Amino acid sequence: MPAAAPSLLELQRALRASLVVHDDSGAAAHLVEGEIGAAERLDIYRNTFASVLTAALRLSYPAVHRLVGAEFFEGATRIFLEASPPAKACLDDYGETFADFLSRFEPAASLAYLPDVARLEWAVNRALHAPDAAPLDVRRLAALAEAERAQVRFAPHPSVGLVRADHPVDLIWRAVLDENDSVLSAIDPGAGPVWLLLQRRAAGIDVQPVNERAWRFTSALCAGMPLAAAFDVARDLETSALLADHLAAGLFVDFTLKEASN
Amino acid sequence: MISLAQSWRNECGPIPAEAGVGLRFRHHREVLEARPAAKWFEVHTENYMGGGSAPGFLGAIRRDYPLSLHGTGLSLGSAEGLDPAHLARVREVVERFDPGLVSEHLSFSVADGTYLADLLPLPMTEEALGVVCRNVTQVQDSLKRRILVENPSSYLQFRHSTIPEWEFLALVAKRTGCGILCDVNNIYVSASNHGWRASAYLEALPPAAIGEIHLAGHSVRHIGAARTIRIDDHGSRVAPGVWALYAEALERFGLVPTLIEWDTDVPPMTVLLEEATRADALIQKAGNASGRALAA
Repeated sequence: MPAAAPSLLELQRALRASLVVHDDSGAAAHLVEGEIGAAERLDIYRNTFASVLTAALRLSYPAVHRLVGAEFFEGATRIFLEASPPAKACLDDYGETFADFLSRFEPAASLAYLPDVARLEWAVNRALHAPDAAPLDVRRLAALAEAERAQVRFAPHPSVGLVRADHPVDLIWRAVLDENDSVLSAIDPGAGPVWLLLQRRAAGIDVQPVNERAWRFTSALCAGMPLAAAFDVARDLETSALLADHLAAGLFVDFTLKEASN
Repeated sequence: MISLAQSWRNECGPIPAEAGVGLRFRHHREVLEARPAAKWFEVHTENYMGGGSAPGFLGAIRRDYPLSLHGTGLSLGSAEGLDPAHLARVREVVERFDPGLVSEHLSFSVADGTYLADLLPLPMTEEALGVVCRNVTQVQDSLKRRILVENPSSYLQFRHSTIPEWEFLALVAKRTGCGILCDVNNIYVSASNHGWRASAYLEALPPAAIGEIHLAGHSVRHIGAARTIRIDDHGSRVAPGVWALYAEALERFGLVPTLIEWDTDVPPMTVLLEEATRADALIQKAGNASGRALAA
């Protein structure tokens, strides 16, 4: 007996099940078969779904791809995209949870630093595609009274990222992308945590290791903490010099004197 | 004072009735440095959302070449309606680059909030027609401009379809005022896969609505030993049968801006320009023929 005609929404949900979780039970009955069967026709779209998204993840996670090899990467992404398919049609935004997936992915457990490399690559990807914004004109700060300046809450440039990792992932990431095996083999993955500050510059994405205190101070500023309170957090730090560096580097695009209203 | 957007519109705004080429990342730098003799470029809207170097390159290229924006993610056929956030991002890209043409597809890519990374075929039903028309109208209202809607290539059809695809597309154009992007390769591929007559597809489209033509390569995939299906993979030169169908399309629609698309294994710019030159020769031939017909 032919299946009753589905509503458009029902049909689209059935095709989603075919492509994402390989369940053709809803869609197959509604297809014209001819010489080629329903499953073979759906395979064409399934293959596109998997290959387009695997390619998108390979672009966002090139170091993870090289560390594990093409075959392993493809196997891992097939499982990932079944569980976490994209919600948005802009693929630059796809793959945010890949690092968390890798941290739970048993076959990758021997590479303890892999999820951290993925976290760094996601931050790099965010920095690459973040909106453009003009840096803060420091004359606006200079025009403030001293008491007002203490209350300044900065808005970071959209490309700024702050990553803390248990392993020296900046060194690993760079050596892998440079395909420099001798540098890579000299890195001690257990050499302790790193604190990284990322920002997009004209020449590319700058990944700068900083010390923990500088990282905490910068994080506080980027989170919108008032300047005076951020200075308190980082008591012994050369905060004035660091802030001057950040301003010169265009780390901030704006400030307010009030708490952000959200 | 003339804004940058206005000066673009004046200098390189409208897309000429000549052959342009699809611009992909690998050619950004070459286009800026070598200024190849392309008549116009088309890019995928979704590749220029956000900031950074890619939109920066496109902004610079836009100053010297007419530009068309071709979207792949709005999902005009989604029963659940358009993603307002995605539509807002499309609008930002359109406002930033002020393109001569904006186009999307007669297909769906989003179901249950999941992006399916392909242009999936719709059932050709009254319900789907209503959904597409509502979504196209929403896009045109949001962008405050007419869009072109492209006929898809497909590898499956639905049992409960009641309207031929060519009629469906003509009805969308009639009801929403949108234009049609006639992808001649897609007609060739779908006609071959489904046993349609490609010329009849062209004959059913309203010439006045045709705003652009797409040409691309496709491949033939073998399924088992004896069966084949044509796959619209944009990874080779335009096939001979597609060139012949293109000549028919020009005869029927008049002189229309035509794009060479190539997305898989993108070749050197010179190969794309060779294909464009071949399309331009056919446009010229069609122009001469219609001139003779008018003079006679």
